[in-house]
Amino acid sequence: MDFSIVGSAIGETLQFDALFGIAGGVFLGYIIGVIPGLSRSVAIAIAIPMTFYMSPLIAISFLIGLSKGTAAGSAVSAILLNAPGEASSAATSLDGYPMAKSGKPRTALQVGLLASVIGDILATTILIFVAIPFARVALLFGPYEMAAILAFALVFIAGLSGGDIFKGLAAGALGVLLGTIGLDNQTGLPRLTFGYTQLMDGMPLIAVAIGTLALSEMFVQSEKLRYERETMAVKLENHKGDRITFPILRKIFPTILRGTGVGTFVGALPGLGPSVGSWMSYGMAKRASRTPEQFGKGAPEGVAASESADNAVIPAALIPLFGLGIPGNVSAALLIGAFAIHGITVGPLLLRDEPELLYSIFAGMIVASIFMLILGWFGLMVFAQITRVPPHVVIPIVIFFCLAGMLLQGYGAFGLIILIAFAALGYLMKKYDYSFVTFLVAFIITPMLELNLRQSIILSRGNWEVLLGRPIALFFIACTLLAFIILAKRTIERKKPIAEIGD
Amino acid sequence: MTSRKYLVAASALALSAVVAGPVVADEWPERPVTMVIGFAPGGSTDIQGRVLANVMEDYLGQPVNVVNEPGAGSAVAFTNLANAEPDGYRFLFGGTTALTFTPIITDVEYEIDDFEYLAALALGQNALVTSAEQPFETFDEIIEYGRENPMTYAQQTALDQAIIERVAEAEGLDLAIVPTGGGGGMAPLVLGQEVDFAYSGGTHAQYTPTGEMVIAAFLSAERSPFYPDVPTLMELGYDYSIEDWRAIIVPQGVPEDVKDRLMEAAEFASQDERFIETTEGNTFFPVVYYDQEQMEDNVRRVRAATEEVMAD
Repeated sequence: MDFSIVGSAIGETLQFDALFGIAGGVFLGYIIGVIPGLSRSVAIAIAIPMTFYMSPLIAISFLIGLSKGTAAGSAVSAILLNAPGEASSAATSLDGYPMAKSGKPRTALQVGLLASVIGDILATTILIFVAIPFARVALLFGPYEMAAILAFALVFIAGLSGGDIFKGLAAGALGVLLGTIGLDNQTGLPRLTFGYTQLMDGMPLIAVAIGTLALSEMFVQSEKLRYERETMAVKLENHKGDRITFPILRKIFPTILRGTGVGTFVGALPGLGPSVGSWMSYGMAKRASRTPEQFGKGAPEGVAASESADNAVIPAALIPLFGLGIPGNVSAALLIGAFAIHGITVGPLLLRDEPELLYSIFAGMIVASIFMLILGWFGLMVFAQITRVPPHVVIPIVIFFCLAGMLLQGYGAFGLIILIAFAALGYLMKKYDYSFVTFLVAFIITPMLELNLRQSIILSRGNWEVLLGRPIALFFIACTLLAFIILAKRTIERKKPIAEIGD
Repeated sequence: MTSRKYLVAASALALSAVVAGPVVADEWPERPVTMVIGFAPGGSTDIQGRVLANVMEDYLGQPVNVVNEPGAGSAVAFTNLANAEPDGYRFLFGGTTALTFTPIITDVEYEIDDFEYLAALALGQNALVTSAEQPFETFDEIIEYGRENPMTYAQQTALDQAIIERVAEAEGLDLAIVPTGGGGGMAPLVLGQEVDFAYSGGTHAQYTPTGEMVIAAFLSAERSPFYPDVPTLMELGYDYSIEDWRAIIVPQGVPEDVKDRLMEAAEFASQDERFIETTEGNTFFPVVYYDQEQMEDNVRRVRAATEEVMAD
């Protein structure tokens, strides 16, 4: 590691505008996280157009700060409202809400915050020490390995996100189909563009992402408004004794470490989102506890387990992203889009070609964790108030940002039409339980998969034996087949889904 | 003109005279100008265009705002430009392959005669590259190696593929050609030695200084001043080239005096140190100044030559 580069990278991160970008991202993320129904990927989808005018470093730090902020913020509504800001904090509300009702809302929030921040910093450190050597190894990955890993990710995501692998594959196939729109990258001939010049580069990612993630979610939320009665948030008052104490901290610390481990592991695997991480961590904490009967009735360990894993997933999901250029989940996939907008190709060459940028991003991630702690600790009262903002105020604001963000892309009315079409599609998929996550990830990785598969076939001249000299590719092809068989069997046996993925 | 419109126009004129300062009141432009870049931010066209905008701004006395309209190798930007008001307030800075090549293979809604080519400011740097660790280095060595062994080539456009196919046929090479989707996808294939050689539109500038990538031949008409020892494909005896200029392009029908102002600004930029330093120092594109007469010829000549290569 070249220390002069590291030094200047840290210096660059500590510039005022970079710090301002990171703080802004964390702050905005916190607010979006607190609002029930607005998830991390909604936040990133809406925020990417805002980064058009930022430098790459600030833009990426802003987006990473934003995702960290949402993870921490979603705990607030989980604890005070019993309505998690997003699926990955659902496990938090199991113990957080009972704690809040029994007069300890502040303790619960502080436990959640500390678990988030510690999980986050530890996982970021792991990212830094794993991603750098990993990127060196990843240079050995050629088109064969990339194609095999991408195929594996696709099947894995299809099987895990909805439970029903056939619905998952259907959603994925639609994503693949839409992902092939545009100019063929060898012959330059247009495919499925129907004469629209705007479609030559493919369906605009921003329209697909904002449409299926954010705008359609607003339709779903407005529909819910008609049936749901208002839930009352637990009030945050200044009670003596309602604060985190050293004995509590000592009690939850091992749980946080375990949660971080689980979150990091789950995050680094493609396809598993933060919800899997937080539920898994919660289950393990319960099993390891000497007083498992306390879980669900207000055990601080429950909050700590869920939140530490939830936050650890975010940096861990960047390991395959920075190492290979493969997104582990939707948020990471959107980050690839954000990098592309700023002219940067994510992948193993990033470390070599732009080490300063990468180190600056790492430094920015640590800074974001610290901001998260400061904002969360001193802003508890303010953020608690946001849980009271009614949905009929939130929904129109989000819709405005969706439309404005699309217009910023420069596609004009054409872009708006596509956006609304994808919002309708996303709404139907959510309604009929087709995984929009699988759809979106398939859409994003299809061009990569197609290119690498095509390169593999041409370079090998159609000779299968080439794979025998490529053990990594062979391993992932075997994993893909295995995953498909196991997941299909599970679906046929009508078992419960392994997990819901909300990210 | 109704009296109200007249009033608005008059006051706008008066205002511009105040704002513009040293520039004579009746001289174009009276309001901010838009420079369109047909690629996403961060690429070589964008880097050069943003500095150029700053320099032209100093000369024109009005802000020059950069707008990125990425898509289909600038075809989206050219489509929009063809339909823009020909008043000079909207012009494009970028390469010419979207005109000399794209319309041949793709059904686009514009043609060469829809535009005027006011000035070229930099020369394209298309080249054939290979890894320093390969057993060959020069283009002749590649051919020699290829006569004995099957070879692989990474393309980026149908045009460079067509040229290499011709060369391979003439030399009797067994060549498999893979797509890369652009310079970012080309580099790992070449450096990881997954392919034997590849086309590069300028990405090589990042990897040649470290000695990891070597340029076997240039596809441009002339040698690059930055790699004076590397021959062009033409010099090696193959009658093919990919010529490309970074030019200032406006829709057909812009008034003469407006075009003159833009050309003056472009000539001014071609001598400005900031533009030269960025274009030559950072992106390794030689800065030139070719006037409209030359460029109109160049674009049409290259188009005809490309049509000949692609005619199959």
